[in-house]
Amino acid sequence: MRNPGEGEVELTTLTSMRVSRRGATTASLRTFLTGMDWILIVVAGMLLVLGVVMIKTSTSHAIAGNPGYFETRQIIFLLPALVACVGFAIFDVRRLQPYPRVLLGGLLGALLVVFAIGVTVRGANAWISVGPFQLQPSEFGKIALVVILASLAVERIEDIDRWRTTLMLTAVAAGPALLIFLEPDLGMALIYIAILGGVLFVAGTPWKHFAASGIVIATSVVMAFGVLPSAGIHVVKGYQLQRMTAFLNGGSGNTAGYQLAQSKTAIGSGGALGKGVGGATQTVYNFLPEDHTDFIFAVVGEVFGFVGAATVVVLFGILMWRALRITAQAATQFEQIVAAGICAMFGFEVVVNIGMNVGLMPITGIPLPFVSYGGSHIVADMAAVGVLLSIHRRRLAI
Amino acid sequence: MSSRLVSPAGGSPGGPGRRRQRPLNPRTAFRIAVIGGITLAAVGILVVRLWFMQVVDAQSYALAAVSNSVRTVVVPAPRGLITDRSGKVVMANDLPSVNVVAFPLELTGAQRTSELQMLAPLLHTGVGHLQAALNTGQVASPYEPVVLAENISAYQRAVISERIRQFPGVALQNAYVRNYPLGYTGAHILGYTGLINKQEYKSYLAKGYVGNEEVGQAGLEYQYEQYLRGVPGQTNVEVDAMGNPVSSAPLSSTPPVQGDTLQLSIDMPTQLALENQLRQRVQSSGTATGAAGVAIDPNTGQIVAMASYPSYKPTAFVQPNPTNEKLITQYETGGGHVLLNRAISSYPPGSTFKAVTAISALQLGILSPTELIDGPPEITLFNTVFPNFQKENNGLITLPTAIEVSSDTYFYQVGDRFWHLHDNVASQGGNPNSGLQQQDWAQRFGFGATTGLDLPGEDPGRVPTPAWKSSWFGALGEPSMETWLPGDNINMAVGQGNLLVTPLQLAVAYAAIANGGSMVTPTLGKDVTNQSGQVVRQLSSVTPPRAMGLNPAILSVVRQGLKLVAQGGQGTASGVFSPVAASGGPVVAGKTGTAQSGQNGQADHSWFVGFAPFDNPQIVVAVIIEHGGVGATAAAPAVCGTIAAYGPTKFNPHLCGTPAKVKSN
Repeated sequence: MRNPGEGEVELTTLTSMRVSRRGATTASLRTFLTGMDWILIVVAGMLLVLGVVMIKTSTSHAIAGNPGYFETRQIIFLLPALVACVGFAIFDVRRLQPYPRVLLGGLLGALLVVFAIGVTVRGANAWISVGPFQLQPSEFGKIALVVILASLAVERIEDIDRWRTTLMLTAVAAGPALLIFLEPDLGMALIYIAILGGVLFVAGTPWKHFAASGIVIATSVVMAFGVLPSAGIHVVKGYQLQRMTAFLNGGSGNTAGYQLAQSKTAIGSGGALGKGVGGATQTVYNFLPEDHTDFIFAVVGEVFGFVGAATVVVLFGILMWRALRITAQAATQFEQIVAAGICAMFGFEVVVNIGMNVGLMPITGIPLPFVSYGGSHIVADMAAVGVLLSIHRRRLAI
Repeated sequence: MSSRLVSPAGGSPGGPGRRRQRPLNPRTAFRIAVIGGITLAAVGILVVRLWFMQVVDAQSYALAAVSNSVRTVVVPAPRGLITDRSGKVVMANDLPSVNVVAFPLELTGAQRTSELQMLAPLLHTGVGHLQAALNTGQVASPYEPVVLAENISAYQRAVISERIRQFPGVALQNAYVRNYPLGYTGAHILGYTGLINKQEYKSYLAKGYVGNEEVGQAGLEYQYEQYLRGVPGQTNVEVDAMGNPVSSAPLSSTPPVQGDTLQLSIDMPTQLALENQLRQRVQSSGTATGAAGVAIDPNTGQIVAMASYPSYKPTAFVQPNPTNEKLITQYETGGGHVLLNRAISSYPPGSTFKAVTAISALQLGILSPTELIDGPPEITLFNTVFPNFQKENNGLITLPTAIEVSSDTYFYQVGDRFWHLHDNVASQGGNPNSGLQQQDWAQRFGFGATTGLDLPGEDPGRVPTPAWKSSWFGALGEPSMETWLPGDNINMAVGQGNLLVTPLQLAVAYAAIANGGSMVTPTLGKDVTNQSGQVVRQLSSVTPPRAMGLNPAILSVVRQGLKLVAQGGQGTASGVFSPVAASGGPVVAGKTGTAQSGQNGQADHSWFVGFAPFDNPQIVVAVIIEHGGVGATAAAPAVCGTIAAYGPTKFNPHLCGTPAKVKSN
């Protein structure tokens, strides 16, 4: 039974917040804080702190004479990350809902700028230099894509069962994903596709569309990795193919195999309780390449053992639980789909990254959210957390 | 804007005063639940996977991590010395050297090619050679360095260490290089060392070797590897992924231990005299192609000298450089069988075997020492004419004279008596392989089998038997030669036919004649001593002499004959040895031999085997000059010069006379 009075009370509260900013700051701050998902905040915070500790461990011998280089930079990155988080928690993401085309134009523009003036880091031309730092537009683009797709999906929510809707949304995601694939940053391109999947799934795209997409994707993978290379057409680069297949043969023979073998050795040798910061030879003596970025989970496994590694997995499980809870409770369908896109993004990144560290997934160069070294990605991760908090805060605000 | 977004709050069970959530569409709820299920499954799979890696299989991963980060650096140990019997003359030692090594894991791809291209000219070798060394030299773990070049020069060392930064993955390593300070001397007994090769690696690994070690490859270096080997030290250091030590203090280390000293029974003055004699005799002969000699203490079996000519420089094998590589090629392909140790290779013994024939016949009772037998210029037995050496007529003679003048026709008749011993059994339906007393006695004197010398490669020689003859010529497809004939016994009596002996075997047989009838086991190694000079193992006289049970009277008659050879008026070698005794030097006894080599147009082999002093023999020397002609002219003077150099029988070598006119063998 609906009680009209209650809705009015809420509206009044909302209005009073907006109108009497000066007068009711204390009250609105209290409302803001009690509306937060504190479990989500604590989990994200713990992962960020863990990341700094692990980066310190893994890079203490990386640059001679400057043991704190990466650790210091990561701590500096936390500042914009927190600003982004708080900013998006305050900001009402619905304000972006009317402008999907503008946002898409901006995203494609930013990605094209990378092609024009980008710098190459670790083989991928994905960064723009800003002073002593590099920005990776595709990281921020993830949030933009979530909003774009959610908005366009809601516009066509009546037609969500139709093929043309699915194809249109797929085309929208494919554009930036293709540009990123050409950088080349295969892992990031796959995240964009995962976001598309999450959006379509929660928006209500029929199962048969997913089944058909699955067949198309499987066929494309076979073509890209098997048929076309043997015909002399190389869609993916040789090292990408090696990385993709290294986990299938247990890690041997090439650089990717070496990375994988070293990662597994690091994790396995950690044992039940870990070797501690001092005993982590795989990490400290640089046997494990990229140990502060893509393979930071292996560092956790070596230093803190099964207890530490399983705890991290469980923390991400809790993070997903909270994110899905927020998705379920979202006040509007737009926000619900935005939250779903973020869930897909985090879920995909975590499973692929940890899966790659333990040898269950191909090596795709996806960082571990919150933990891996890198400015753009933790800022984007925390912005996403901010969006979730904002959605959570307004779950009852109708 | 917000009003447009307000959707109807459903009739959910929220009580009055509670704000309600937007009702969840069941389809959406189900889909979110699906994502939740996938998340839960992923968490479960990852935790299980971590459990297997970190709890179940943790041990093997931990081992992998340790082998990653702990590198064992092998610290080479010097090999033991080899000295003569005095312990003062060093025949083999180790010199400090520097090796160029490469770490295969750190030197890969195009970098490997470019670095090897820079190194090759400096190391005087080809890129292909270095590539092959890197590919095949990897014997232990891929973390172990592979030796690219051993014992580099000071100049090469300076160039590489100056530019070591241009050669990542390449390092200079302190090592030792084997050295044979006496050059050609003792080459055939010393042998040489070399790096363990890939085929040998497994067996050496089982014996506790660690990798790039030098091991004995020939001669005594091989025979006594277990004592000579230095035990390398090991330093375990923690390294990073680039192989750089992460701290200066090693985790653990054991110091290298030098190998024990091998002291030989070789008497250096005698060894040098023997080698000089062999060289001179061959060089002055005109027909000789090589020579060998063995000097042995008849009472202990200790070898006093052993030499083979032509000789080689064992250093060529242990110190690789372009000059030495040319030398090795020359040794291996240049003819002359330089690497062959002729002292343990077999030849027909010729008349030197007559002493063995005499003792055998006397022991068997088919010959009496006082029996007078005619020694005509030639004798016909079984329709075959057997001539004396120079068709000389020896007349009616007894055994000592027959030995003194080396009468072939006398000994052919003794051979005929051996034939009858065999034939008496065989022709009466007995076993055709019985009645082989001649062979049996040859074998009792050690012929037809290795002597047990502590040196690899000993030839057993050959004592022909009916069974051997049948299978040997059967295999050659000459059935007409398969039957054992009287001529076989007759020829064997004078040391011809198919009988083959080594100079060492002959020296050991004569040692038995000299020492009163005991077979000794010849040994080159005397003692193994540790760094503080204590004997840790005795190598000589380990096997006691074996008494043959000879009748002393018989031995005495034969020794008398051997004394006449060197001292008697008609002695075949008295021209060489009688002047020594006449001047107060030791009385030498022995036997000449002039063995038909069986090679058409080639001169006979010249033999002499003798012992001294006659009354209390201290040394037996056997010498063969390959294709050197008559025994008295080439071999006997060499034996004389060798005996002159040995302490217990020392005399002025110029006392050795020149052989008389050749009239017998």
